[in-house]
Amino acid sequence: MAAKAEDASTAEAVGKAVMVVGIDDSEHSFYALQWTLLHFFSPAVRPSGSYKLVIVTAKPTPTSVISVASPGATDVLPFVESDLRKISSQVIEKAKDICAAHSVLDVEYEVVEGDARNVLCEVVDKHHAEMLVVGSHGYGAIKRAVLGSVSDYCAHHAHCTVMIVKKPKPKH
Amino acid sequence: MEETNEPVATEGREKMTVLVAVDESEGSLYALSWALDNLFAAAAVGGAPNKPQPLGRLVLVHAQQPLQQFIMHPIGPAVYATSSVIDSVKKAQEQNSRDVIERAKGICRRRLQVEAEAVVVIGDPKETICQAAEQMQTDLLVVGSRGLSKIRRAILGSVSDYCAHHANCPVLIVKPPKTSH
Repeated sequence: MAAKAEDASTAEAVGKAVMVVGIDDSEHSFYALQWTLLHFFSPAVRPSGSYKLVIVTAKPTPTSVISVASPGATDVLPFVESDLRKISSQVIEKAKDICAAHSVLDVEYEVVEGDARNVLCEVVDKHHAEMLVVGSHGYGAIKRAVLGSVSDYCAHHAHCTVMIVKKPKPKH
Repeated sequence: MEETNEPVATEGREKMTVLVAVDESEGSLYALSWALDNLFAAAAVGGAPNKPQPLGRLVLVHAQQPLQQFIMHPIGPAVYATSSVIDSVKKAQEQNSRDVIERAKGICRRRLQVEAEAVVVIGDPKETICQAAEQMQTDLLVVGSRGLSKIRRAILGSVSDYCAHHANCPVLIVKPPKTSH
């Protein structure tokens, strides 16, 4: 009986469409996550037509953050690496809190190393996701110079529907 | 009429206003079908079928190109852009818009419990769609994508690109399905 129930649940999990949400440590990302949970995973909607949620954050490689040619770079690298790792795990922890607050439990969390653009598209392919959700202005403090281009890249190159969630602009 | 003890916060979710941009392309109609299947699926599956409350507001928006005062090239004897020519072009455009809306509405009707409104806006599609989204306080704007390459996108212009950057609300870009190999 228990095996049968387990089979049923795995079969159900296979049948569910996958939604990938890309986040980083910016407010916009968490807003996007909350918006998605509110509109797609609220208890009223969940029993019917629901998604399996995969939350992914991209951890930049330390070498992409500092130029390796600079003197003393090799000494700094381990500190940068642990710092980046800490940021990523904090992001995931916060995501877990948000999901728990919306009582969404069937979530997979992933930290993938690499450039956010490629990471998100790869995760979409890996899970054969139906939908990718990103915030706008979604890249963290370090790469803020190339703001917004992650959502742009994903909108063009992801192999699935892309939803770009923005924080509403305050009305004047 | 409280049937369940839903918290007040989720009430907002049920009444999501979704704006779907449609035109003659297959991509936008696919986007409409996708939106109906995935955003309003709760109506089709589960839930009490006799639930009277509407599941959200679906608005179809079609942007009609504005009529330019074009200069007619004289073909043989001088041909002037008479008002009757302008009128007939206008009528053809309006008929075209009507057809697009009818086709989109037909798709909506085949799904359940979706009250679709239709709006035709005249002007440059990019700007008017974003304006319409703002005016109607949409929760989600759905656009199709033609899947153009970078160069063609720069030359031909991309409505989905513009909307993704300039709309004030979340934007959903539906890609055309990949032809299965």
